[in-house]
Amino acid sequence: MLKVLLKKQLAEVFKGYFFDAKKNKMRSKGAIVLWFILFVVLMVGVLGGMFTMMAVGLCDPLNQVGMAWLYFLIMCGIAILLGAFGSVFNTYSGLYLAKDNDLLLSLPIPVRTVMAARLINVYLLGAMYSGVVLLPALIVYWVVAGVTAARVICGVLLLLIVTTIVLLLSCVLGWAVAKISLKLKNKSFITVLISLAFIGAYYFFYFKANDLIQDIILNAAVYGEKVKGAAYGLYLFGRIGEGDWPAVAIFTGVTALLSALLWIVMSRSFLRVATSTGAVKKARYVEKQARENSPFGAMLTKEFARFTSSANYMLNCGLGVLLLPAMGILLLIKGRDLDMVFSILLAEYPDAFAVLLCAMLCLLSAMNDTAAPSVSLEGKSLWIPQSLPVSAKTVLRAKAAVQMIVTVLPALFAAICVALVIEASPAVKALVCVLPPVYAVFSALFGTVIGLKMPLLNWTNEITPIKQSGAVAVALFGGWGICFAFGGLYMLIGHRIGATPYLLIWTVLFTVAALVLLRWLDTRGVKAFAEL
Amino acid sequence: MLNIEHLTKTYGEKKAVDDLSLHIRPGEIFGFIGHNGAGKSTTLKCAVGILHFDAGTVTIGGKNLADDPLSCKRELAYIPDNPDLYDFMSGIKYLNFIADIFGIGADVRQERIRHYADLLELTGDLAQPISAYSHGMKQKLAVIAAWIHDPKLIIMDEPFVGLDPKASHLLKEMMRQHCDKGGAIFFSTHVLEVAEKLCDKVAIIKQGKLIKVGTMEEVKGDDSLEEVFLELEAE
Repeated sequence: MLKVLLKKQLAEVFKGYFFDAKKNKMRSKGAIVLWFILFVVLMVGVLGGMFTMMAVGLCDPLNQVGMAWLYFLIMCGIAILLGAFGSVFNTYSGLYLAKDNDLLLSLPIPVRTVMAARLINVYLLGAMYSGVVLLPALIVYWVVAGVTAARVICGVLLLLIVTTIVLLLSCVLGWAVAKISLKLKNKSFITVLISLAFIGAYYFFYFKANDLIQDIILNAAVYGEKVKGAAYGLYLFGRIGEGDWPAVAIFTGVTALLSALLWIVMSRSFLRVATSTGAVKKARYVEKQARENSPFGAMLTKEFARFTSSANYMLNCGLGVLLLPAMGILLLIKGRDLDMVFSILLAEYPDAFAVLLCAMLCLLSAMNDTAAPSVSLEGKSLWIPQSLPVSAKTVLRAKAAVQMIVTVLPALFAAICVALVIEASPAVKALVCVLPPVYAVFSALFGTVIGLKMPLLNWTNEITPIKQSGAVAVALFGGWGICFAFGGLYMLIGHRIGATPYLLIWTVLFTVAALVLLRWLDTRGVKAFAEL
Repeated sequence: MLNIEHLTKTYGEKKAVDDLSLHIRPGEIFGFIGHNGAGKSTTLKCAVGILHFDAGTVTIGGKNLADDPLSCKRELAYIPDNPDLYDFMSGIKYLNFIADIFGIGADVRQERIRHYADLLELTGDLAQPISAYSHGMKQKLAVIAAWIHDPKLIIMDEPFVGLDPKASHLLKEMMRQHCDKGGAIFFSTHVLEVAEKLCDKVAIIKQGKLIKVGTMEEVKGDDSLEEVFLELEAE
């Protein structure tokens, strides 16, 4: 029974590898194998490789000064963080919001078996994430310090202890996420903010990793003494990897005790949690006079509501909203220094810094691609705009307008920041201010056209049109390609005619292209929309 | 009010609707029945301008749907078989969105929303997101959205599916009142008892072709509509 349930759970997690949501059918065997190879390459090759490099950098120096325990403490800490945070959202949905709870509970399956299957699923996912850190860490240690029976047995036990701690933390954090999310009003915005904070923290530590490793190696003795003095338990935990049997016994006992406690607590509450509807406090309707809107205004409001209602949509198609002003502020702080460096580095290319920054702003603008999945996101609701007395032209223009609105102002702000910090002629500065917003308009219309040419209406999860559709890929990478061409061509040949004519030519090109795309939308696009 | 002449719609090789002609006059409740896949929904979607058709004409209030789709759509309201509404909106926002598209003034829409939402007992849920609605609640919201702009013609695909008995009863009354005021209703249904009691006229479609049309008395004679329908289906 448990095996069957577990198989179902894992099939659900890896559904995307077996099932093509775009074509609404099972993938071929070859495609399934390829997807799993890609998954292994990503997990083992990219993530595993990254942590192997880190382990190689830390292990030998710390082992040489007899502080391998600090090495294990650091690697286990990362493994626990990655495992717990990597699987917390899965725990939340898998344990507390599982859609098939009612179905499973109506079948002749003991509740404990259902719960065990869910927990094993969470354990395996957590183990997968923490394993990409801890397995390389153990292997590197065995290579550096030498293989002994005690080290291998304790290493395996350390892996079990860490993955069990990940399970415990995932359950507690998943419960906290479930509780918090029931109380939140603007879930999508908060999800976006939390996700961005995680992404920011990830990149911060990623770029600082080398400095941190060096700092730990140089000050290992000081940090070691501090840990031993202030948190002896952590020291003992690190000792497990070195083959310290008392430490193994203590932590195995503690972890087993906590696991038993978790099982008891969850056994008592699982049925109640699994069958709760998660209903939030009902919003009270207060009658008030509505503000009248034109059909275009109504469509635009609807498109904005669609955008802001989904964290997936905002995160995947609206990052430019934050990145453009961030870039502008960064340039206000560091721009002059960078200008000086680039004027020396690229002395043969006059105004190259201005043109490259302009290309950079266009590239960031292209990260706002709300228009590309917009037609596809109509999905099963497509009958609404098609049956209402609103022209397809209005519908399509509203879709493009959302991207323009969320991109043009941030792009203009960033462009003004660029103009303030670069050393260039007034003409170049003026064009630097004009070109990115013009590109943003072009990009919005380009995305709408691509979205209309490559619609994907039969989706079951909105992430399919938002993240996995051809339209989004073409709009994003196509947009980036244009930006690279714009920046690259200046370095190749454009600098010969000078920045002012070069920027002017591209401004005109983007304007003409935008007008052509608008014309296409208003004529052929309208027909294409009617035929969807 | 609605004239469908020689309508033909094909999906690849298959003729979903084959040379179908129907005339719905003001004041009529017109029922459209047929087995699953007979072509009912396709006909309705062609009549509201969602689907393009291969041959024939559709005129609404004397205007040709192909030539002037927006004018035609201003005259009608459509409720699909599955009310896939904008889940990301609240009920009241959806109603205001529809009212904006039809240019309904703030005072008028407020009064109509109050009237119909109270009638269908949905007022208390209007601030809730549509994603939290049950199928029946979505159906009620779609009904209010259809009635909010007081259309001349209402086209509905299986409108009673998902509605509780009270709401079904209310919808039938709303349909009758709408037609008594000079409006027209064209709807498909599998519930033959409802069609028999409610409809002034009925059409039966089989494999895309119209096999019987007329007033209820003309179609069923002394038999029940169910008997006539099953007999025609067996032929």
